Amino acid sequence: MRRLTDKRLALTATCLIVGVIIIALSATTVRVGAVLALMLVVGIAGISTVTTKRLRKAHPVLTRAAVTLLVLDASLFATYFFSSITNFNLAIGAAMSIVLLGLSFLTGASGQISLGNSAFMGVGALAVAIWANHHASTPIFVTLIIAIASGAVVGLLLGLPATRLRGPYLAGMTLAFAVAFPSIVNSFSSWTGGDAGLQLPTAVSAPRWLSSIFGSHASLLTLNTVWITDITIVVTGVAFFFMANLFASRTGRAMRLVRDNDVAAELAGVSLPRARVIAFMVSSGYAALGGALWTLINNSVSPPTYSLALSITILSLVVIGGIGTLPGALIGGVIYAYSTNVISWFTAHTGINSQGNLASQLPGIIFGGLLIVTMLFAPMGIVGAARRLWAKRRLRTVA
Amino acid sequence: MIEVEELSVSYGAVQALRDVSFLAETGKITAVLGANGAGKTTLLRTISGLKESVKGNITFDDHSLIHKKPENIARLGVGHVPEGRGVISEFTVEENLRLGAMMAKVDLAAGLDEQYAQFPVLGERRKQHAAKLSGGERQMLAMARALIAQPSVLLLDEPSLGLAPLVTAQLMHTIHDLCASKGLTVILVEQNASTALRISDHAVILYLGRVVANDVATNVIADENLRQYYLGMVE
Amino acid sequence: MDAFLTSRIISDVLEGLTNGVIYGLVALSLVLIWRSTGILNFAQGAMPMFATYIGMVVFAHKLNFWFLAAIAIVAGFAVGGITERVLVRHLYGKPELNPIVVMVGFLIVLEGVAAAIWSTTPRGLPSPFSPIDWHLGGQPFALSPFAVYEIVTALIVMTLVACLFRFTKLGLQLRASAIAPEVSRLLGVRVGRMLTLGWILATGVGTIVAVLVSSNFFTGLTPQVMDGIFAFGFIAAAVGGLDSPVGAIVAGVSMGIILQFVGDFLNSNAIIVTALIILIISLMIRPNGLFAKSTARRV
Repeated sequence: MRRLTDKRLALTATCLIVGVIIIALSATTVRVGAVLALMLVVGIAGISTVTTKRLRKAHPVLTRAAVTLLVLDASLFATYFFSSITNFNLAIGAAMSIVLLGLSFLTGASGQISLGNSAFMGVGALAVAIWANHHASTPIFVTLIIAIASGAVVGLLLGLPATRLRGPYLAGMTLAFAVAFPSIVNSFSSWTGGDAGLQLPTAVSAPRWLSSIFGSHASLLTLNTVWITDITIVVTGVAFFFMANLFASRTGRAMRLVRDNDVAAELAGVSLPRARVIAFMVSSGYAALGGALWTLINNSVSPPTYSLALSITILSLVVIGGIGTLPGALIGGVIYAYSTNVISWFTAHTGINSQGNLASQLPGIIFGGLLIVTMLFAPMGIVGAARRLWAKRRLRTVA
Repeated sequence: MIEVEELSVSYGAVQALRDVSFLAETGKITAVLGANGAGKTTLLRTISGLKESVKGNITFDDHSLIHKKPENIARLGVGHVPEGRGVISEFTVEENLRLGAMMAKVDLAAGLDEQYAQFPVLGERRKQHAAKLSGGERQMLAMARALIAQPSVLLLDEPSLGLAPLVTAQLMHTIHDLCASKGLTVILVEQNASTALRISDHAVILYLGRVVANDVATNVIADENLRQYYLGMVE
Repeated sequence: MDAFLTSRIISDVLEGLTNGVIYGLVALSLVLIWRSTGILNFAQGAMPMFATYIGMVVFAHKLNFWFLAAIAIVAGFAVGGITERVLVRHLYGKPELNPIVVMVGFLIVLEGVAAAIWSTTPRGLPSPFSPIDWHLGGQPFALSPFAVYEIVTALIVMTLVACLFRFTKLGLQLRASAIAPEVSRLLGVRVGRMLTLGWILATGVGTIVAVLVSSNFFTGLTPQVMDGIFAFGFIAAAVGGLDSPVGAIVAGVSMGIILQFVGDFLNSNAIIVTALIILIISLMIRPNGLFAKSTARRV
């Protein structure tokens, strides 16, 4: 044991020294140096926490925090090097993964299904836009909380009647909501701007200290994109951290019990409707958060984006990624961000007329088809299938 | 006549029946006894086709019942009154009986009359929903429903379950009389060994999926060891 | 008298009735599948739509309405049966989530394929009856020959389905297969065939609706033609009680009339919103549907 600790200490010390040398060589200002040093320390602390088995078992929350910080650290570091367009896609994908996570939780942890997540995204997106147009100076994080709250409130309104029942009522209710959403937006067009939507009064702009890291050659667009991407990544990290803890907590376990055997849950004292409504509110709050981030990233909100078709895409991504899994939501976000690219690559390489009917319907057909195929043959999604393979492998090596 | 040969049935990793063999003769009542979990219900479900993937053979007259679907086995004349009776509560008494008569080429009106004559209580309640019947009445309905199709084989899974002793006694008389008058092959699964043995001709005792006794009923009653260890009968 | 009959109120009632029977039929087909197989078929609008396109394609040159309708309905039977055998078979006994997701996926695929093959431009189907409203005393009366034809067709279909279930041997078997499949097997009922038949019937009913709706002069046939109607149909089914065919029809007709008034006296945006509100209120007050008997659950 002692030798192991010595090895570890030596390794950490070496990394630290090497890291400090690199920073010293590349930092152009003290500020930059400080930021890089901070990232390095966080990184090392994260890695050592995660790799220490004892710590992992004894303090699961701390471990999750460490993992989150580690991933955030790496991503934030990477955004410096990415192009604007990559950062943009990253931000869109990250925000979408928050939405996916919410639905994944609802479906995986409590067995209910929602087809209205795009409408909830719309709720959050509009909330931010409307609020910003009336109170321009509110800090971003407060605006996001307002968006989450709006989503949760609407979730309560719809969830309360629908979750009391066994059966597909929540699915149908959310379907009706998704179908009704455009009409609702148009009814209040003085507030929502109708189909045309709203613009944010001021674009989200990077603070000055960020520009000093990039130096004077970076354009405003690059800076702002990096800033909003970083914000989105941090929010995503927080959202995932919160969800990871929720999954593992008493509430999460109660919800899984409700999903698997609701009679047993009732007998065990879990309040059925309450558990289901809470799950639904969490998922709608997360969806609203995703939509709010999209508004910030795009500097505007366009209600027709939040259509039933998007809801179904969201559902597909959750199923394909893996219901009830955290990595599944991340994978889904990545797929979403790059799906248009992949599909246009596909049409280009298979000779399908890109202006024709088939090409325009291809995303729908592919997602719908994947949904069916995944649900029939691999209902656990990519992550679920991977986990099963991993478990089988471990069994084989043990045996 | 039903012949079971070397029947082995498992649910996944759990072996429910091992090499079970016996003969249920026509016109006789064969009791299948044993404690909870001995495999009695599994045996009946396998004979009527509800349980698939089995090893061994089950022959009914000239037909092999393995690999046949339950609805086809039923149409051959095997009536199964399952555990819990399977009375459809949402239907009326008469609708339950109509359902039972459906597959057989029997005259519905005549069949109904016969069952109402056999079980007058059902006749009185014919338009009522089956949910309103008492336990004993449900048992009668379940049996009438199986009988209306004029089966040659009757599989009964714990008919006395939840019934008062007096009702049970009457029920057993009815089973005995029906078997005699119609020449049925009856396989009677019961936990209540003494009641079953009183009307049975033959007895098979299962223990943890194996046959531990397969003999004429009178011999089984007389054997003290069997009674004590496998049937829990004190007197 | 004429003035009364052509008044706004009566006009709304009649137009609402015409829409309402459509919603009622869709709701009925949803209830049929729910009761017989325990699945809520989200593709209940898309499958008939696809069958209607097939009917249209087969009769592309002739375009006689009655032949087209007949082919479409037969195609509907086929689509329903094939879907049940190939797709739905694997979903029985799975958690509630799976069938919903698969049918939603199927809905998307069907609409996408239909749009890819036949594009999204509305196709006009021949209408057997004139859609022009009659006139009473010079004022338009809110019924046209086409509307009457819709209502009569709907009533005939509803009656036939009701008779099937209540009075026939087949109906008894269908009901038994849905409620107690294992017991039904023991009584010789070919449960598998009954389940397929349930889907065939329900899709047939749905196709009748799709043909009615598509031959409406003002709508035409598009891949999305059944989407809104499915939503309203589902709401009607949920309000009336997913287990109750009578409830489905009554709720559908009532909703049609109420929503017509809403659309007339408020605006068109309020229609779907009102439907949503009706659903919320109905689920809060009478969760199992207005016409459902409360059922205990077997533990």
